[in-house]
Amino acid sequence: MTDPIEAPMTDQPVTVAIIEDHPVVVDGVTTWITTDPGKRAAVVASGDSIDEVLAGPGGDADVLLLDLQLGDTVVVDRVAQLCTEGRRVVVYSAMDDPGTILTVLEAGASAFLSKHEAGSHCVDTIVAVATDRPYVTPSVAGALLTEAPHLSVQERTALLLWFQSMSKASVARRMGLSEATVRQYIDRARVKYAKIGRPAPTKTALLARAIEDGLIRADEIGEYRSHAAGDQ
Amino acid sequence: MSADPSVVVAERYARGATVAAVVIAAFWHLGYDLAATATNWGVYSRQWAAVVGWVLYLVVGGVAATVLLRGGSRRVAWLAGVGTLGVDVLLLVAAPGAVVLPANWAWGSVGWVAVIAFWRHRAAHLVAFLVADTAILVVGMVVLDVGSSEQVSRAIMVLLGAFTLQLGYSLGAHGLHAAAQWAARSSAARTAATAHRAAAEAVAADRAVRYQELHRVTATLLAELVAGADPSDPTVRRRAAAGAARLRRLMAETDDVPDSLLHELRAGADVAERRGVQVSLSVVGAVPDLPVDIRRALTEAPVVGLSAARSTARVTVVASRTDVTVAVVADAPDVHPAAPTGVTLTQDHDGTELWLQTRWSTA
Repeated sequence: MTDPIEAPMTDQPVTVAIIEDHPVVVDGVTTWITTDPGKRAAVVASGDSIDEVLAGPGGDADVLLLDLQLGDTVVVDRVAQLCTEGRRVVVYSAMDDPGTILTVLEAGASAFLSKHEAGSHCVDTIVAVATDRPYVTPSVAGALLTEAPHLSVQERTALLLWFQSMSKASVARRMGLSEATVRQYIDRARVKYAKIGRPAPTKTALLARAIEDGLIRADEIGEYRSHAAGDQ
Repeated sequence: MSADPSVVVAERYARGATVAAVVIAAFWHLGYDLAATATNWGVYSRQWAAVVGWVLYLVVGGVAATVLLRGGSRRVAWLAGVGTLGVDVLLLVAAPGAVVLPANWAWGSVGWVAVIAFWRHRAAHLVAFLVADTAILVVGMVVLDVGSSEQVSRAIMVLLGAFTLQLGYSLGAHGLHAAAQWAARSSAARTAATAHRAAAEAVAADRAVRYQELHRVTATLLAELVAGADPSDPTVRRRAAAGAARLRRLMAETDDVPDSLLHELRAGADVAERRGVQVSLSVVGAVPDLPVDIRRALTEAPVVGLSAARSTARVTVVASRTDVTVAVVADAPDVHPAAPTGVTLTQDHDGTELWLQTRWSTA
């Protein structure tokens, strides 16, 4: 399996547009990105309005980092539209209840970052998402535990322990597996959830990449098989 | 079906009284009416009418009794009432010369069928029937010109004698039914109150025992401190933290809040935070209502783990209707919480990190 946290194949850093209404948060996220030892990503635009950011250089960014609460507006219903346009959206929010998380994933968001866990996952998430690979934060693991269908016992256990400990090394030790295998179980659970609900180009890309990486077999995808095959 | 004892007892009373009413009517008809018909057989000028009247009484009475005992429609009551008044007319036809003599047994007897037929109606229906019965007698006496003072007083005697018994029985039985219902209800209320008190006493006793235990542990620790135990000793600090968390939880248990389990965990987290531990609490799923002993079993070990945390702790709850998992991951030394009952406890320590999980499951 390819390590999803490696930089993408090109040497160019991943371009990120931040849509966030608090300047201090924009500054914080920008700092995480610029201090990344591998310089794997770069912020190309930021602002507090989806439309304004997309109208500028942000429109061509590889990844959109979207806060769900912009001023007094909750923009959950914009996620589906952005993903239908083929944009890779990482939702970044303090609203981290399973209902909200599953709603944005169902709408096609590539990943979800809860504000309390963002520091240690932000750049890794952005880099994984830029290559259409799954990235499951502990908050997403918790949400998937309440909903994800057809999980194997190992996948469920890996999700639960990841949610509890937030450390893959710790999960691996407890399950007696390698970290790579643990990540595989967790990512498989995420990919299985991508089959749920309305189709979106981002979900199709995630499934196609999962087949390419050998994370999941085409015949495990069921109704999305044709979409995935068409993308290859 | 009803499990309410007051309903069960009242139903048994009502059933007994209705069976008694049916038995009275049956004995009256088979004993008195049949004997009167047989001994006065020669008196009847139209013997067929006497036989039809006796049989009609039997049929209507049988139908009314079946409807009452088997729980049929209340609407047949007046149909039965009119049929029974037909018995009056038939006996008049059978022996026009013996309107108020024993050969005409109908006047006093028909009321017993009416008692059965109108059992589930207000008393006014039975009274109306008895008035109709009286009216037929009066009309019969006028038409047949039976009006001597002896005959009038005999008629009054027959009617009053029968009506007193019939109305008295009906009203008395219904009154008894109401009284039984009232008595059963008050007895059920008393039983419920006793059960509540017993439960409250058991909970209070249990809490008192745990308070005593906490008191003993805390007193020992305080005595050691007074005697010179070093407050900077990590073991002493951990014991103090665990005691504080338990006291806090004892208080949180009696707070009437939704999600008591989370409330109790938050109380434990609060204590840890006050010691400067960074605690994160994440919950997915809705926690079902759990009995206090299961809640305590689920939170006891995690609270011990939280109390041992040095600088960070993560508390998670994953819940569904049939399964609740509480876990604590913390930078803490290994701990040895008591083995809980009703939940499974799993724990692991890798040298720096403590992982501890309690799980309740209906499966």
